Amino acid sequence: MEHIEHLEHTESPANMKSQIWKTFWILLVLTVVDIVLYFVLLSSSSIYKNILFVFLGIVKAFYIVSVFMHMKFERKFLVWIIIAPMLFVCFLIWLALNEAGFTFDSRLF
Amino acid sequence: MANTATLTTDSKQTWGGGKSPFSVSYGKLMMWIFLLSDAFTFSSLLVAYGFVRFTFTSTLPNTIVKPFAHLSHSFVEEMHKAGLFVTERWPSPELVFNHFPFLHGIHLPLMFVSLMTFILIASSVTMVLAVEAGHRMAKKEVEMYMILTIIGGAAFLGCQAWEWTNFITEGASLSGNPFGPTAFAALFFIVTGFHGTHVLSGVILNIVIYINVVKGTYEKRGHYEMVEKVGLYWHFVDLVWVFVFTFFYLI
Repeated sequence: MEHIEHLEHTESPANMKSQIWKTFWILLVLTVVDIVLYFVLLSSSSIYKNILFVFLGIVKAFYIVSVFMHMKFERKFLVWIIIAPMLFVCFLIWLALNEAGFTFDSRLF
Repeated sequence: MANTATLTTDSKQTWGGGKSPFSVSYGKLMMWIFLLSDAFTFSSLLVAYGFVRFTFTSTLPNTIVKPFAHLSHSFVEEMHKAGLFVTERWPSPELVFNHFPFLHGIHLPLMFVSLMTFILIASSVTMVLAVEAGHRMAKKEVEMYMILTIIGGAAFLGCQAWEWTNFITEGASLSGNPFGPTAFAALFFIVTGFHGTHVLSGVILNIVIYINVVKGTYEKRGHYEMVEKVGLYWHFVDLVWVFVFTFFYLI
């Protein structure tokens, strides 16, 4: 007798395949946009340039997590369990950059 | 009132026991929790990079070398004289990562790393297609997509090995490099090395899963959830690369 397990999971939509390919093209275009922007903004050393690249990275991450990692179709509770702790990372970034600013000043003087 | 009543029933149904309140299996939930902890590890490494990077004067924009220009043997010395490769200043990544296999001596800024990014995105797509085929219990398709994913992962590792070899040959090490601050190469090796280790373990896991698919283990089990779990890990590796690419090559 073969044992067939009962599996709990959230269903994928019927058009999953087309969603996958759509996400692939979005990621590809965003990567090309990244590289083009890099060369267009080459002579700029503005902080907004860095923010723009990080923003584009977050957009790509959003598409990978929501479609490829199936998170779009999971229960909201699971989504928040994974996303909410990332706020600590935001805090760490703020902390580190703040401190790095002081280190930068102490190197100058 | 009607709303409250429905909510209570829902909550009882969800948390009443006997089934997963998240509507995912135990193994998949644990994979998510593991990925969260791994995300913290990579975040700390990237924040450490951001810290060090922020304490250095911003990069001087390169106005000397144009794309497709000829690279002389004394390229690094020339850049040093021009003030672009000095220890006080973070170097411009396009001047450091400008090589491409078989196209020696041509300035091809960031082209190779773009190819690596493309390979990883493509292998992520084949992985998610394997998962999708698994839902339909299409064994042959899962096999094919798993093989493609393994090839993509191995190709990425090969590219990284080439990139590292090139970087080391040019004189970069954990304790110094001819391009700029010591931390520039040290952080590059640590973060891309840590990511590369993840890709390597991902490829090994994919091979294990592939063997099980071929043997029909999941066919007998009645579902291909193991492909999904390893898929989550594989997409996470792709996700981390998005940020490694952004921080090390674009910023």
